[in-house]
Amino acid sequence: MILRYLIEKEFKQIRRNAFLPKMIIMFPIVIMLVIPWITNLEIKNISLLVVDNDRTTTSQRLVHEMEASNYFIFKGMSSSYDEAVKEMEKGNADIIAVIPQYYSRDLVNGNPTNVLIASNSVNGTKGAMGASYLSNIVVPSTGKLPISVLNLFNIYQDYKVFMIPALMAILLILFCGFMPALNIVGEKEVGTIEQINVTPVGKFSFIMAKIIPYWVIGLVVMTICFILSWAVYGITSAGPLAVIYLLAIIMALIMSSLGLIISNYSSTMQQAMLVMWFCMVCFILLSGLFTPVRSMPDWAQYLTEINPMHYFIDAMRIVFIRGGSLFEIMPQFMALMSFSAVMGTWAVVSYRKNN
Amino acid sequence: MTTFISFIIKEARHILRDRRTLLILIGMPIVMMFLFGFAITTEVRNVRIVLVSSSIDNRTQKITNRLDASTYFNITAKTSNTDEAKTLLKGNKADMAIVFSPNFANHIYDGEARVQIIADCADPNMAIQQASYASQIILSELTSVGVANGGALIKLMYNPRMESAYNFVPGVMGMILMIICAMMTSISIVREKERGTMEILLVSPVRPILIIVAKMIPYLVLGIVDLIFILTISYFVLHVPIAGSLLSLSAVSVLFIIVALSLGLLISVLTETQVAAMLASGMMLLMPSILMSGMIYPIESMPVVLQFIAHLVPASWFISACRKIMIMGVSITMVWKEVCVMTIMAILLLTISLKKFKKRLE
Amino acid sequence: MTAIEINNVTKHFGKVCALDDVSLSIDQGELFGIIGPDGAGKTTLFRILATLLVPETGAASVDGFNTLTMMRDIRKRVGYMPGKFSLYQDLTVEENLKFFATLFDTTVEANYDSIRDIYSQIEPFKNRRAGALSGGMKQKLALSCALVHKPSVLFLDEPTTGVDPVSRKEFWLILQKLRDAGMTIIVSTPYLDEVRQCGRIAFLNKGKICGVGAPDEILNEFKDVFCPEPLSHSDEAKLSEDNDVIVVDGLCKTFGTFHAVDHISFRVHRGEIFGFLGANGAGKTTAMRMLTGLSQPSGGKATVGGYDVSTQYEQIKKHIGYMSQKFSLYEDLKVWENIRLFAGIYGMDDKEIASKTDSLLSRLGMSEHKNTIVKELPLGWKQKLAFSVSIFHKPDVVFLDEPTGGVDPSTRKEFWTLIYEAAAEGITVFVTTHYMDEAEYCDRISIMVDGQIKALGTPSQLKSQFGVNNMDSVFTMLARKAQRKSD
Repeated sequence: MILRYLIEKEFKQIRRNAFLPKMIIMFPIVIMLVIPWITNLEIKNISLLVVDNDRTTTSQRLVHEMEASNYFIFKGMSSSYDEAVKEMEKGNADIIAVIPQYYSRDLVNGNPTNVLIASNSVNGTKGAMGASYLSNIVVPSTGKLPISVLNLFNIYQDYKVFMIPALMAILLILFCGFMPALNIVGEKEVGTIEQINVTPVGKFSFIMAKIIPYWVIGLVVMTICFILSWAVYGITSAGPLAVIYLLAIIMALIMSSLGLIISNYSSTMQQAMLVMWFCMVCFILLSGLFTPVRSMPDWAQYLTEINPMHYFIDAMRIVFIRGGSLFEIMPQFMALMSFSAVMGTWAVVSYRKNN
Repeated sequence: MTTFISFIIKEARHILRDRRTLLILIGMPIVMMFLFGFAITTEVRNVRIVLVSSSIDNRTQKITNRLDASTYFNITAKTSNTDEAKTLLKGNKADMAIVFSPNFANHIYDGEARVQIIADCADPNMAIQQASYASQIILSELTSVGVANGGALIKLMYNPRMESAYNFVPGVMGMILMIICAMMTSISIVREKERGTMEILLVSPVRPILIIVAKMIPYLVLGIVDLIFILTISYFVLHVPIAGSLLSLSAVSVLFIIVALSLGLLISVLTETQVAAMLASGMMLLMPSILMSGMIYPIESMPVVLQFIAHLVPASWFISACRKIMIMGVSITMVWKEVCVMTIMAILLLTISLKKFKKRLE
Repeated sequence: MTAIEINNVTKHFGKVCALDDVSLSIDQGELFGIIGPDGAGKTTLFRILATLLVPETGAASVDGFNTLTMMRDIRKRVGYMPGKFSLYQDLTVEENLKFFATLFDTTVEANYDSIRDIYSQIEPFKNRRAGALSGGMKQKLALSCALVHKPSVLFLDEPTTGVDPVSRKEFWLILQKLRDAGMTIIVSTPYLDEVRQCGRIAFLNKGKICGVGAPDEILNEFKDVFCPEPLSHSDEAKLSEDNDVIVVDGLCKTFGTFHAVDHISFRVHRGEIFGFLGANGAGKTTAMRMLTGLSQPSGGKATVGGYDVSTQYEQIKKHIGYMSQKFSLYEDLKVWENIRLFAGIYGMDDKEIASKTDSLLSRLGMSEHKNTIVKELPLGWKQKLAFSVSIFHKPDVVFLDEPTGGVDPSTRKEFWTLIYEAAAEGITVFVTTHYMDEAEYCDRISIMVDGQIKALGTPSQLKSQFGVNNMDSVFTMLARKAQRKSD
């Protein structure tokens, strides 16, 4: 049971560090309390200009509906589309609705007629969201329609529900990725790794002793996140927590293995940190955490297939938001398992006791 | 002067000899530009649709074909009941379900024919957009047979493909300059403290200010090299226009670099170990520069307290100035506010850190 | 004329008193030594003189300039060599030197004469990176860098720790020359032969100056600290030859075309204290790394405790202990936690560890420091503790790599008492050292030169073989023959 003593040592060193214990507690708290407010992409307060070329009671009713919506700030009427566009260029309007001439007549007679929605999409999300909101007002107002929308899972369309599992994932990979990497390079720089190498401690025990403490820390961080998201935002997991913890453990294993692999190949802390940072940024950007994977170009989608973070985010959202169970995330689970096997083996193999 | 030059040469050698770090510092902006430019997009594309229909008739077939033909949607599954579709949504094997009422074609004119869109609101923004796109397409089909009329014609102006590059290029510039100028400078100064070479430098008659400035210059050069890379990629590969004058853009960038360098200096003065410098610059500079600078998330939609903090982040001023000059093409006189704020920040930070810089060991 | 004047200087770090009312006056052109145990305040004194620290009370002046008010004048005229290697490891020898020259607004060419003696020895390697130099060479380069601007006062903080005797002699010859040229030199050192070469010395202990005077006077006055009675030691080769713990036969290690270890063969008997000597860069560390299973041999065969080093290195690790000067214990763990960790690694159970820890600590007289963080212990205690931990699991062989570097003579004697106790229990001791008095304590010694073993035998055998009366001369004769300069 050499492992037990080694793990004990790691914990003592972490505890004795002036900075780490504080960071383990404070960092997730700050992240969970502040970041959901920043990463909110709920688009509101869109400035709206309306051009009414119809001027009938039907069109006025439509304008009133637009005015009433709390997504928009009604900036008034404009006399022509060209004039409205000028206003948009000045930055006074984000979106323009043009009600065509004979709108109400065409509606009654059953002739096709369309309200034009022109949206400033320099900021793509803002533009598209505004257009969608507006068209959701326009379309039903045209009369009886055979289309209805049923919202599933996040029925109040709360953006925080979407972000919180993602934030947990980020915290997990930050802790489990960076800390072991810096730890091993630190031992290299001080020279203590040499002393361990002349003892009968096996590669496997050594690597495990470096990984397990960060597993535990990862799980502590996850737990803090769960408590905070419940207490502060009232958001709880829709699926079983046990599955999420299971996923977290596997992801922690993958990330800490990555950290160890990087540290095994780098000689200074600065190198280890930069390489790790680089990997993290690529992992996060290509995981579908902020933007949907299927919106990416094909080459980027192929890259996401070799990104463990992608499977983890997918699985997290299935369980946390959609309430899936282990059965639903089987493909992601298997992918993560094979990643952890490969990375774990690589970490053990790349650690050289004898050269 | 020779002392100063030899100092710079020495720093440049440190940077050039650590090949791996250099490779990352040069390669990171390039990779990031490609990722942000191409991969990070919220365009509605390849949405997987499950069709739920008890019977396939020519009407539903036409609607289906229209959906499938668009670049937005792919029909990936067909089922006969809603629960099955919901299970697929739950396991994220589909993004949206479209349910047709039974005998859709037969009831199309008596008002009994109905379509339901089941949206996966895990990502609320995407769900709203997808549902709205789908209903547009269904509606246009129904309009063509006279069942429905009216609807909305959506025109996304200025950026019809909703490319994110316009938004991100200034952000990536801010982030990269922050990493190189603030983080790397602070680490390189603290490393001399840690290794004990600072002791010898201090005992020499060289003025401390010279040591510091000499440390900054190679990183400044590296920052400018990266800046050139970023602008080249954004212009030739991502086709982001540089609407304003290149000169004013460079002027604003240099000003921001000076702010970043002074921040790095301040951190190096306040920390004793490389790890502390790394963590401090990572958490206090990098995170806010990415999250609170308006690079990804608009500052206007943050709560007021956070908006206040965001205005303390130098990168937010730089990004705002950059957007105005690069994308909107205004002249430098229109960004006087940003320039003023950054100038004041630079002066303040430099004064504090030079005051705090110790000429002795304690 | 007085070069350095220190009046009633006091300095605290937190609660620790580093210097306590120190007064000292040093004449121009003096070679002045500062001696004292680890943590006595030597480095603090150097830093105050070099204007790096400000004393709380009292004042100091260098060359007539006050350290507090005339900092810039002092910084122009002093050379300073801190204890830690202070070179840029990733710059080449020449680049380092040039950089330090321009730092003082001068060039290497202009002052080449003043450093020629010392720099000419490392000039052949001017394109090598400083990080790849051996300890002795680094020190010579650091000295060159400190001298390149012709300072009038030179501060050297333990410049020769970890340097082999031959290089140390060369180093001190240079210091003598500089003194003759009129330079004031203040140097601290743990080596007694170096202390004796100083004009005057001061003995600093716990922040106080206990005595100033000629080396012999001071060494005599504090005999029990500096010149402890040598350990009595029988000079017979021990035990039968058939019981060999380490058998090395034609062992080689090459890096590219460079033969770091070149066909060495020797045997170490069970229970023996085997001294493994050699100049810096002769290949000792490489050989030791192979024997401890850290490094694969390029050729030849070696067994430790019956296990082959190239194939059964994991087995070897169960039967050896290892301690190096560079690192021995985890500094951020407590004393008992370190013991527990290493005992646990060697498979002891909790109960055994607890009882053995207590008995070990009481034997070392460190019972009340059981809960002290190792970082806070004095160097000598750390080394003793580290040694005890390395033999805690009763290994067949213990490898000690310069275990007493930078430790004062009385602590070194205590350390060697521990080594003898271990040997008496049947543990074979394999030790490298640069102290020639310690070489005499060994049962047998080997001397490595240029990757080969040039001499092997008991100290008295070697002395008579080379016709000299001390080990120092034996070593010097052999090491001077080295073809390749250390690297």
